[in-house]
Amino acid sequence: MKKIYIAFALFIGLTMNSCKHDDWFYRESKNTISDEQLWNDPNLITSLLANYYNRLPSLHGVFNTGGMTEIDDAMWSGTRDQNGRNDFQYGSDYGRYWDYGLIRDLNLSLENINTLGVKLTPAQKSLFIGEMRFIRAFVYFEMVKRMGGVPLVTKQLIYDFSGDPTPLQVPRAKESEVYDFIYKELEEIKADLAANNSIKTRANRYTALALESRAMLYAASIAKYNSLMAAPISTPGGEVGIPASMATDYYNKSLTASKEIIAGPYALYNENADKGANFYDMLNKKPVSEVIFAKDFALGTKVHRFTYDNIVKSMTEDNEASSAISPSLSLVESFNYLDGSKGTLKDKDANGNYITYTNPADIFANKDARLFGTVIYPGTSFKNSPVRMQAGVAVYNNGSYQLTTSAVLGANYTDGQVWTGFDGPKDDAVDVSNTGFYIRKMVSDAPAASTRGTSAVNWWPWFRLGEIYLNAAEAAFELGRPEGLGYVNSVRARAGFPANSISVLTNDIIRNERRVELAFEDHRYFDLKRWRIAHIVWDGTETDPNAVVMGLYSYRVVRPGHQDNGKYIYARVRPTRFRRARLFRMTNYYSSIAQDVLNGNPKIVRNPFQ
Amino acid sequence: MKIKFLTIFIAATSLFLASCGEYDNFDAPEFTLSGKVVYQNKPLGVRNNGPRFELWQDGYALRSPIYVYMNQDGSFSAKLFAGQYKLTRMADAPWLQQATDTIRVNVTGDTNLDVPVTPYFNITNETFAKSGNTISANFVVNKVVQTANVELVRLYLGKSILTDQVLRDVRVDGNVSSLVFGSPTTLSADIPDNLKTLDFIYARVGVKATVAGEYVYSQVQKIALK
Repeated sequence: MKKIYIAFALFIGLTMNSCKHDDWFYRESKNTISDEQLWNDPNLITSLLANYYNRLPSLHGVFNTGGMTEIDDAMWSGTRDQNGRNDFQYGSDYGRYWDYGLIRDLNLSLENINTLGVKLTPAQKSLFIGEMRFIRAFVYFEMVKRMGGVPLVTKQLIYDFSGDPTPLQVPRAKESEVYDFIYKELEEIKADLAANNSIKTRANRYTALALESRAMLYAASIAKYNSLMAAPISTPGGEVGIPASMATDYYNKSLTASKEIIAGPYALYNENADKGANFYDMLNKKPVSEVIFAKDFALGTKVHRFTYDNIVKSMTEDNEASSAISPSLSLVESFNYLDGSKGTLKDKDANGNYITYTNPADIFANKDARLFGTVIYPGTSFKNSPVRMQAGVAVYNNGSYQLTTSAVLGANYTDGQVWTGFDGPKDDAVDVSNTGFYIRKMVSDAPAASTRGTSAVNWWPWFRLGEIYLNAAEAAFELGRPEGLGYVNSVRARAGFPANSISVLTNDIIRNERRVELAFEDHRYFDLKRWRIAHIVWDGTETDPNAVVMGLYSYRVVRPGHQDNGKYIYARVRPTRFRRARLFRMTNYYSSIAQDVLNGNPKIVRNPFQ
Repeated sequence: MKIKFLTIFIAATSLFLASCGEYDNFDAPEFTLSGKVVYQNKPLGVRNNGPRFELWQDGYALRSPIYVYMNQDGSFSAKLFAGQYKLTRMADAPWLQQATDTIRVNVTGDTNLDVPVTPYFNITNETFAKSGNTISANFVVNKVVQTANVELVRLYLGKSILTDQVLRDVRVDGNVSSLVFGSPTTLSADIPDNLKTLDFIYARVGVKATVAGEYVYSQVQKIALK
């Protein structure tokens, strides 16, 4: 027995001795990547960039179904536990965004690629640096448009353990300084980004210009319209508020950038003779001519559930939760008629009597084709099948119509014909439209796109040419230059309007064009903010059709023996689930800064009204 | 066997229960701080849940405010622990921001505190009268902050005591350019059909300064219709 122990001890001793090659301990790890490896391998850097691109921020964007139902374009018709979206007022922290984690990651990467990336070619290196600086500018733009001026941190902040943290306490920059920083960065990198010009999902020269176009327009309109307020919103140090004198310069910068893009390799998507379908295809089919910068999705690897969330009730291929976004009547009415008249729907005549229509879709006839591409209304179709929308029947009784709806969707009335359609609308119901409209824009028509197993892969447009045209139009109009008219008319011509449909441009026309062209693309909240009219449009008035999301319900007339029998009438309703009018307060122009940020950095100035 | 199991089970359970006696026996805050927001010792009418105060307490590593919202008649209340608090008058209100001019509050029992503020404007001598289908309001708008400008003067009618800029049925704009400070002004509104059948309605006048996000209101007046 003892011999066995001795042998065992000897064996151990021998084996331990045998590893005298020190380098055995210094092998390269198989499961971690060192900084030197990362910053010298273009493939690894590209995959890191994919992470950063995926983290690009938005408020109501990137298929944020819930966010899209928090303004006046739509209400929430999905599960009841999220009905708060129909029953809230914008808190003073609404839209708060303070992501110095992402800024720090980008600063760290920029420093490391400079010092460690020795094996990269200069062209590779400047391209990667350009992309990261673009992302950083994008993030700062998102912060400045929500918070006002923020601390401009462009390098890592490292504590030196001296007991004095003041070097880490960066004060807020002026609001104008942040916009100037964004402009300067983009001007510096745009040439380096040209190598990406054929790629839609990475920053390229035109992406930088598009961000420039948008950011400079925001800065210009804040400079102009903040100063026009009865009491401009500002802080003494300029952290909030831009002097009116800077507006012209910003408008010029925006217009210059827009013009360069318009002169570039893009064209307004116009390949389908059916203008409404064309507008829908423009965002559904990944067209390379229109979209400048997109967040792409691919089957099996990265998908989104916007179609699952929002498809028409009867067409869902899944078993739960469809139809969350119900577009508002005010959005539908902001689409004008093709003859140029205002888009108010003609539901009643001058005497207050219902106007009858032979077909459910007739009331929407001759409207801006973008209405078809954005909203699904009664009498239209989706995925080549007709939607089954009808709120109920209008029975003529003693000189007036009695509007009745059935308890279950898809039931037949006593005359054997449809009572309430399977797609509603139904008041106070879940997962069916509560306003009489569904969203079409960006809801994919691909097979199985509305299943959670497959999901949708249509891309999210960060920037597209339609916006750039309207940016250019607005900047030119503000500068008093004539070319704005042509830009607006081009966008309208693509929507089915005759050529040169507008002869005199006004602010209202430009603003309405932005609402209808860019609906659900994360613009409206910020547009109303920068024009300083959000507190007027969303004034919390319970009777105001802009502050309240209204609906339009269609009814089939039951009036045997009369010429109107079997025709359709429309009633304006306020959906029961919509509980509180949108109320935008002065404090919402700049989101409040979080208390832990104020606790951590005594140099941070609070926002006005905070 | 069964008895042994039960014994062990009971012993184990009582151990578990006994061990969590530490953390959930903090007392709830027991004292009430209540009061009114006043100007010249008269309460100011505000929008319910609109303007707010912040209460702060020193002596803790992390600071976070306790928000105190006001009722429509300018009264407020908060349940607090005993201690020293600082009360700040925030912006987004119809009065001057005095964020750094704090009021120290020592809460040792139920405390009553009237918070003086400097509204940009105030409304005095308001009377409401009904004649036929019209409600007319007589009131005086006084300028308190000399640099302030009036943006809007409005008369509101509503069906509940919570009548203000947001919750109301009727709103009538007064003519700002002809408004004379310190002199009586009249505004009148027709009672709409949906209010005519009620036993009583509520009326109120509000003034908004250009620099303020909120209106200052008269107190709500109940008016019998029948």
